[in-house]
Amino acid sequence: MGIEDAYITARGVSVTYRRQRDGSELPALAGVDLDVARGEFVAIVGPSGCGKTTFLNVVAGLVPASSGSVRVDGVEVTAPGPDRAMVFQDYALMPWRTVEANVRFGLEFQRHGLSRDEIDARIREAIELVSLTGFERAFPYELSGGMRQRVGIARALVGRPRVLLADEPLGAVDAMTREAMQGDLERIVAATGLTTILITHSIDEAIALADRLVIVSHRPGQVREIIDVPLPRPRFDYDIKAHPEYAPLREHVWDLLKGEALGAKEVEA
Amino acid sequence: MSGRLRLPDSRWARIALSVVNVVVFLTIWEIVAKEEVINPLFFPAPSDTWDALREGFADGTLTDALLWSLRCFAIGMVAAAVVGIPVGLLMGSSPAAYTLLSPYVWAMASLPRVAITPLLVLIFGFSQMAELVLIFLSALFPIVINCMAGPKTVDPSLLRAGRVFGASRLALYAKVVFPFTLPFIVSGLNQGLTRGLVGMVIAEIFGGNDGLGYVIQRAGETFEAPTLYAALFLLVAISLSLVQLLRWLEVRVAPWRNQSARA
Repeated sequence: MGIEDAYITARGVSVTYRRQRDGSELPALAGVDLDVARGEFVAIVGPSGCGKTTFLNVVAGLVPASSGSVRVDGVEVTAPGPDRAMVFQDYALMPWRTVEANVRFGLEFQRHGLSRDEIDARIREAIELVSLTGFERAFPYELSGGMRQRVGIARALVGRPRVLLADEPLGAVDAMTREAMQGDLERIVAATGLTTILITHSIDEAIALADRLVIVSHRPGQVREIIDVPLPRPRFDYDIKAHPEYAPLREHVWDLLKGEALGAKEVEA
Repeated sequence: MSGRLRLPDSRWARIALSVVNVVVFLTIWEIVAKEEVINPLFFPAPSDTWDALREGFADGTLTDALLWSLRCFAIGMVAAAVVGIPVGLLMGSSPAAYTLLSPYVWAMASLPRVAITPLLVLIFGFSQMAELVLIFLSALFPIVINCMAGPKTVDPSLLRAGRVFGASRLALYAKVVFPFTLPFIVSGLNQGLTRGLVGMVIAEIFGGNDGLGYVIQRAGETFEAPTLYAALFLLVAISLSLVQLLRWLEVRVAPWRNQSARA
């Protein structure tokens, strides 16, 4: 499971939530081990409620691990840091801020020592990278879902993080926009050299974007299997679904997830 | 043929229609009143009301009453905002403060304000203080309850975003919770204004010797219906302009709310 010179290392990460109502314990993650290489794109796929988001929150430093630890570039994660940025399923943009001000939010709380001009240049650059130039003064409510998520991505990029944590970033975007934005995401990640962890429900999206797929079991989440995606890049230059490796890979992942979903039902019953 | 009335599309046509509407209404009123279809003792003509309004401003009685009312209202409202906004925000942010204070806030909010007027007169006599306190108490609780709702309903994913991008607790409050709460504060003020106005009139009718409420009460006792109507007209004017002002402010501080409602 270990990779040499891994950039992100998770070892035995478990998280147990305590219910406020009756104090009972709810295990969300049970001993997750995962290594992610520098610049690698990993997609975590699993049934809903398997603790995928919890794992991402631990890497982000939002939720402490009950046991085990996560290291990023050798440093143990204890809190959020400028080296890690996040993109959210519901965009999480401040509705009272313009596009420009929402992107600025990504730099606002960092001790970056940048001058005003440098900050403005960074913001312009991030907005350009997500192709939103010309919309700087628009408010989120004036934008489509896809454009809102571009703002979310620009906000994540403006602080020049090393790690991008994407929590179902395209889950709320319509199907047409979704495919186009997958292409943009691949291009942006390639251009910035980001190490990326993507959470998704969509097998197709995971295969389209990731170097490796991490299949997580139902609650409490554990790594069920890690699968290499052998498709060449850039993947949006050709029809990956026509690639001979695509169908068997998809079927394999689908079988694994179907088993997990059925398992989850048995546990609940 | 459909029997439904269709409003014209152009803005000016709609304004013209409103003007015509009001003019027709006043004309019918004038005729009905002048023909004394209804007892003129309590149904004066618009022209008589207009005369009473002009005379009241000419001899200063209505001017004084209006200024008195506005001054009391402003003092009571400012006090209610200064106390109500922080208390409401605190109750919305701290579960301990909420648990401690909410029984009293809800009890006071549901108590009809008229009911405490005799108590206030008992404490403060027929003084300005009684009126100020009643305006203050009337406006305070709607403000507290609305401000409380703000921090309680902050979108958790906005807080998550704030933490991911490194906001401290204080920064989270200043940059996420407070801006999110601003529209709640404005609607609290809006409701507070309406309630405060009620408190003002009640205090002036039952305990005061000044203000528009007193003019109304006096005019009723002395059978001066036109003066009574003139004072009512001024109250409507005050109330409408304040509510419009707040509505304008509401759109200014939270344009996204109206937009998403319209979409």
